[in-house]
Amino acid sequence: MAGVVEIIFITILALILIILFVTIIIIYNNLIRLRNNIDKSWANVDVLLKQRSNEIPNLINTVKGYMKHEKQTLQSLTKARSMILETEKLSRKAAVDNLITDLLKTVFAVAEDYPDLKAVENFLKLQQRITGLENELADRREFYNDSVTIYNIRIESIPDLIVAKMIHLKSVDLFKATAEDKKYIQVNF
Amino acid sequence: MSFSFELIIPFIFLIIAGIILLIWGLLSFKMKRLIENTPTSKIRSIAMGLVEIYGEVEPLKDNILKSPFSNNDCVYYKYKIEELRQSGKSTTWVTIKKGEEKKLFHLKDETGSVLIDLTGAKIDIPTDNIFDSSLGKDPPETVKQFLSNTNIAWEGFLLGINKTMKYTEYFIAPGDKLYIMGTADDNPYVKEASAEKSTEDIMIQKGKFEKIYYISDKQEKAILFRYTLKTYAGLIIGSISVIISLVILSWF
Repeated sequence: MAGVVEIIFITILALILIILFVTIIIIYNNLIRLRNNIDKSWANVDVLLKQRSNEIPNLINTVKGYMKHEKQTLQSLTKARSMILETEKLSRKAAVDNLITDLLKTVFAVAEDYPDLKAVENFLKLQQRITGLENELADRREFYNDSVTIYNIRIESIPDLIVAKMIHLKSVDLFKATAEDKKYIQVNF
Repeated sequence: MSFSFELIIPFIFLIIAGIILLIWGLLSFKMKRLIENTPTSKIRSIAMGLVEIYGEVEPLKDNILKSPFSNNDCVYYKYKIEELRQSGKSTTWVTIKKGEEKKLFHLKDETGSVLIDLTGAKIDIPTDNIFDSSLGKDPPETVKQFLSNTNIAWEGFLLGINKTMKYTEYFIAPGDKLYIMGTADDNPYVKEASAEKSTEDIMIQKGKFEKIYYISDKQEKAILFRYTLKTYAGLIIGSISVIISLVILSWF
């Protein structure tokens, strides 16, 4: 009888260990997937940032002959374009990205005052293309930040916290400008 | 206590059922985590790979089906015809025919639309209609039409008395809201790089490497709630079945 009870307890213990083991594997795989999702969603943001950056020189070349009084805006746009391509720091990139969005809005708003420019087909195509890219960027920024938020919450919640600590996962920054970065932009532009 | 093999058998089955429930619970946990961990994409900015989207069904022009029993417009339907048969003293429902059909369609949200191919998807939708026929009760005309087209008799040989039958249909209609977790990949119906919008080049489908292709007419919260229940039910009931069976077996 004692032998049977032992077998039962060993089986129950084995069952618990198997469930625990499989749960840990699922949690581990999930965390790895989440981490990869962040990399993937960042790559999807970055590709659009580059595509938009590639369109900016075309836009400036198209509008500079017409917008003679907007020299300062166009110069800032050129500078911001270079900066977003060079900056590695995510929050600084986000600040510059916001600046580019604002500058582009200004360029398109001011273009309303230049009927000759509005008649240029190339400008209209560029405006449409850049506006499309801006919309997609807004969605992908949001998606990236959602992925980061889910990941950051997961690695700080039990039971994921235990697995995250075991494999040294660290929290990831949101694509969001800090107050310091905003100040930097104000000083430099 | 004396050993009796016949008495042990039910508990061995209970252990197997418990293990199956445990596996089911763990798989539900895996799916729950996947849904929780995937943010919903806006259709306009879908990226290639596994995506989660939510939107409204928009059929393609001239690409619409009629549901088999109620004749409703739809892009997907599934049906089942069952007959109540007697064997000895007991009666059971026997499925005499079932089938499904699907068409490509668009899923639309506030930002855009994308093509959906349902092939290989796990479609989780509730029953839309159940019709029946029995002694003194004919099936509705639309059902009769379907039965005569498919050569299924609802009347028995004996004096033409109606058989007891049940006709169940499920369908996805235009305007239905769907939750989809699937793979965004190349749209084979659009020539490479000829699309005006980037989403025209994309079709949601079963991925080559992703096993998951799940479609539901429920919102994410409701789906998560169900998977949470399945997880707890599987793990708790499964564990209890195995433990109780083992304890009882120890008495033999």
